[in-house]
Amino acid sequence: MSTYRVSGKGRVDHNRPVRFTFNGENFEGRQGDTLASALLANGVHLIGRSFKYHRPRGFLSAGSEEPNALVGVNRGVGRAEPNTRATVLEIFDGLNTVSQNHWPSLKRDVGAINDPLYMLFSAGFYYKTFMWPKSFWNKVYEPIIRGAAGLGKSPAVPDPDTYASRYAHCDVLVVGSGPAGLVAALEAGKSGAKVILVDESPEFGGSLLGEPDAEINHLSAWDWLLETNAALAAMKNVTLLNRTTAIGYYHQNFVGLCQRLTDHLSELPDGAPRERLWKVRAKQVVLAQGSIEKPLVFDGNDRPGVMLAGSARVYLNRYGVKVGNLPVVVTSHDSAWLAAFDMAQAGAKVAAIVDIRARVPNYFVKRARALGIETLCGWTISGTKGRHRVTSVRVNPVSAGGHVGPARTIACDALLMSGGWTPSVHLFSHTKGKLDWNDERQMFLPGARTEDSRCAGAGNGKFGLEESLMEGASAGAAAAIDAGFSASAGSYSVEGEVLCIGASNRELPSDGSASWAKAFVDFQNDVTAKDIRLAVREGFKSIEHIKRYTTTGMATDQGKTSNMNGLSIASDAVKRPSPSVGLTTFRPPYTPTTFGAFAGYNRGDLFEVTRKTAIDSWAEEKGAVYEPVSLWRRAWYFSKQGEDMHQAVARECRATRQSLGMFDASTLGKIEIVGPDAAEFMNRMYTNAWTKLAPGRLRYGLLLGEDGFIRDDGVIGRLSTDRFHVTTTTGGAARVLAMMEDYLQTEWPDLKVWLTSTTEQWAVIALNGPNARKLIEPLVEGIDLANEAFPHMSVAEGRICGVPTRLFRVSFTGELGFEVNVPARYGRAVWEALYDAGRKYGITPYGTETMHVLRAEKGYIIVGQDTDGTVTPEDASLAWAIGKTKPDFVGKRSLTRPDMLMADRKQLVGLLTSDPKTVLEEGAQIVLDPNQKVPMKMVGHVTSSYWSETLGRSIALAIVEGGRAKEGQTVHVPMPDKTHSAEIVGMVFVDPENKRLNV
Amino acid sequence: MLQERHPLKGHRISLAEGVSLVIHDAEDSSRFNLRIAPENLGAASKAFGCELLATIGATATSGGRLALCLGPDEWQLYAPLAESRSIETTFAALYASCPHSLVDVGHREIGIAVEGAAAVLALRSACAFDFDTMPSGTGTRTIFDKAQIILIRHDENRFRIEVWRSFADHVWGLLQAASREIALGI
Repeated sequence: MSTYRVSGKGRVDHNRPVRFTFNGENFEGRQGDTLASALLANGVHLIGRSFKYHRPRGFLSAGSEEPNALVGVNRGVGRAEPNTRATVLEIFDGLNTVSQNHWPSLKRDVGAINDPLYMLFSAGFYYKTFMWPKSFWNKVYEPIIRGAAGLGKSPAVPDPDTYASRYAHCDVLVVGSGPAGLVAALEAGKSGAKVILVDESPEFGGSLLGEPDAEINHLSAWDWLLETNAALAAMKNVTLLNRTTAIGYYHQNFVGLCQRLTDHLSELPDGAPRERLWKVRAKQVVLAQGSIEKPLVFDGNDRPGVMLAGSARVYLNRYGVKVGNLPVVVTSHDSAWLAAFDMAQAGAKVAAIVDIRARVPNYFVKRARALGIETLCGWTISGTKGRHRVTSVRVNPVSAGGHVGPARTIACDALLMSGGWTPSVHLFSHTKGKLDWNDERQMFLPGARTEDSRCAGAGNGKFGLEESLMEGASAGAAAAIDAGFSASAGSYSVEGEVLCIGASNRELPSDGSASWAKAFVDFQNDVTAKDIRLAVREGFKSIEHIKRYTTTGMATDQGKTSNMNGLSIASDAVKRPSPSVGLTTFRPPYTPTTFGAFAGYNRGDLFEVTRKTAIDSWAEEKGAVYEPVSLWRRAWYFSKQGEDMHQAVARECRATRQSLGMFDASTLGKIEIVGPDAAEFMNRMYTNAWTKLAPGRLRYGLLLGEDGFIRDDGVIGRLSTDRFHVTTTTGGAARVLAMMEDYLQTEWPDLKVWLTSTTEQWAVIALNGPNARKLIEPLVEGIDLANEAFPHMSVAEGRICGVPTRLFRVSFTGELGFEVNVPARYGRAVWEALYDAGRKYGITPYGTETMHVLRAEKGYIIVGQDTDGTVTPEDASLAWAIGKTKPDFVGKRSLTRPDMLMADRKQLVGLLTSDPKTVLEEGAQIVLDPNQKVPMKMVGHVTSSYWSETLGRSIALAIVEGGRAKEGQTVHVPMPDKTHSAEIVGMVFVDPENKRLNV
Repeated sequence: MLQERHPLKGHRISLAEGVSLVIHDAEDSSRFNLRIAPENLGAASKAFGCELLATIGATATSGGRLALCLGPDEWQLYAPLAESRSIETTFAALYASCPHSLVDVGHREIGIAVEGAAAVLALRSACAFDFDTMPSGTGTRTIFDKAQIILIRHDENRFRIEVWRSFADHVWGLLQAASREIALGI
């Protein structure tokens, strides 16, 4: 192992080596390492190429805010994931990782040609460059830009992993397990409240994991952690979720958590879900998200080896890795001095501490000198050198007047920087909680809250350990109290704490030309300080516009390390204070989240509910082809011996018209309407008159919306004076019931009538054809089926094949027809019995396509296909279904509005193409004069169009402006091949006298 | 009489030892949806032979019959299969004096029993309901993933899901997926 691993230091297990590969090369790390810490221990800083300029990049941070170190992880077929942050990727034996965004290799990348050309790629580059010639956009520019965009390779095959979901309720949800979060959970837990504590890291402790030397309540930080974690684990009312990121905070304390279950394991347990999305409803939330360190903005601040000072300290103290042996520290914040001291004590030669501030607390300067570290206060940094890793820095003194003096070069192998710390307010922002600008501290802090939440610790600006613990404790206790428990916060003390403070900066002063400086603000999207100033010069004043023009803060890290630097530069450029320039909106998810986690169980067979009828399994055995109809799958047609759809449908149509067809109509919506006021309710809901409908009779019912347009239809049977059996369209079942309940509960609560969905109580078998009666006569008991006793549009209760039935005599084909309703569990058996008995009539099962053809031949409409929400009964030639003398029904008043009575409304008509072989496309537009100039005036469209086997020609239904008055006229239907002509005719193509129905 | 087909007949999920979770098709029963004005509750209770409680979510049982109050005027009634006819006849006799709606929904729904110490965990995989607020002996109409269900808690670790037949496969599939992770203890 290299000289970078510090034996005995950190929380990794030095006795457990872990072997992994990066770009095909073998490496060894320690159990507990991240990919970043393991590579750094091997002296590897070069981890990837930047997005736009393909500049070599290293690790900027040690946490989930990482903008640079995005790698591809490959765990076998389908398990390739791009853009995984190396800083949070736990290594395991056999881990296989690759770097991204380069060709042919990480060290030699031809894309780096963009880097010296960077003057061309300034803000708004695409908008300015690819304007002309306009015709180039679709074919040339856009494909090239799209090809160059994006980082990493998206997976090309389906993900074999499974994902889980879980709902949870709790009294107090604590986000973040740093000092504030831990004690908040502890105090709330002690009260007996149901607590959930989440942290994205595998270990609880947050910043304390990188600060072993602090002393809390007279214990060393790590001993205190041990004790606190043990206390939490012992509480049955506390759920501890590590490797879990709170990704979004939604209304009414609903928080989404993504838990990573198996990504860290070298062997995946068979069938184990990879991730689980927790959907938590918390009475109270404590946000203890901590803070994120700000980079400094100077030329060459993105070179591998340039890293946040706090992160270097984490690598050292938590992972036992020195990020360099000869580091230089550059800072405007005290905390980076602590990193220098820790590095020096671990054996690194700290070449210098460069502080932008002229005055630094004496304590730090003294301690640096004692450790033999040169201190340069009131100095700036004006550049770095080193191809794949920083080799030297260029530093200059800055006079009190701001004059930048001559440069000095200091050799180094790492540059640790700190521009101060930014409270993580992301989740608080999701709630639209107000952020208050603190001008003195130059930071946004959580202000007025909108949810039952509290912010505590560094995320609330309490950077000191003791104040953070105290705030966490009182937040936890207060949350428990607000959740209905009694609690009082315990007391926490920290020995000899040194409070760190700092100053905020924009770009650091330099003796070089600002226009040439590559001083990065957003590392992931390659946005420099110069880009932001250019955007302002070009007229962008709001941070929302600057963000979109420069793309700063728009990468997958959402600007966690860049937003504040970007804002302070923008506010300087527009010469307005930061809060008036604004802060962009943080949106969920907090960190990139897999689609799998969001999908959860809903993939494959569980993607969506597939409703199947009681007869569906029979159709499946007979090789039915299915089509989806709302959530149902329905048999579309039954193909025999290699028939195509056209042949199968033609055969099914012929058989039904000539002898006997059977059809599974179980999906029809059904509502049982019962009560003394049932008929009155029906009168008010449907257009038809119901009072005089005798028990035992059926009627076609038409349902309108308040606007007078057709919403639904169906055949309705009156079983007794007070009981109706309503059928609705398949897709309309739920909304018709909801609409009826709505009227009943809000408009007519006085009516004594009740509604119950019986859609799934009944299996429905439609039998159609001249032999339908002959088939069922011997099987039905208790119902006289003679035409006179049981005419068309009748209903009766009896038995069929020995089971109870509600038998409808009704037809959606124009043939003699019956609909056999039987309790659902008998559906398949009755179907099979009818099928067997029907063989002597050549009984033919048919699917929805044949049903559509047969009904269209009769001009029966399908709501939602021949209507589109703008069709009135009159438009559809259904005015006969309106009870003219009824005082009211839903939609009645709308029908008399002037525009509903206009003669040129679009009306449903029939169409016969002049070429009988042409089947028009459904949805095709209709014009009166095919020789008009384009764009032509369209007067309607084809709604239904089929080959009619009965007529040996095509038929169609269409809605056409003033269509009925145009009967006999020719219209034209432009289609991709040619423009077809068709004659407008009536809607009934077969048996207009209904002779076949009434036999 | 012809053969009845139950979508989940004989289905069972039983996990390895050490994990207390059994999911199986519940014994079938007759089911009715009863809608009646609350002032007629006494008469309805008498007709059903089991008290109809007026508190939403409350159940009462008597002689193998169970009544669950689902809404201010809505009860779901369960009874042994063989008693279906007599219940209809009794309520029909009540109609003239106490108008109501009694609708047979026996074939509309499928019962799934979810039992064992891990039952709540299994249900929480797709049910947003707060089980801590659900006492034993209560029931509710709620959502399980995308399916509307009636959920009855017989006791601490014994639940019954009642779901429309065409949604039963989906609910079952989810319970199966959730029980895999429970078996793995993950």
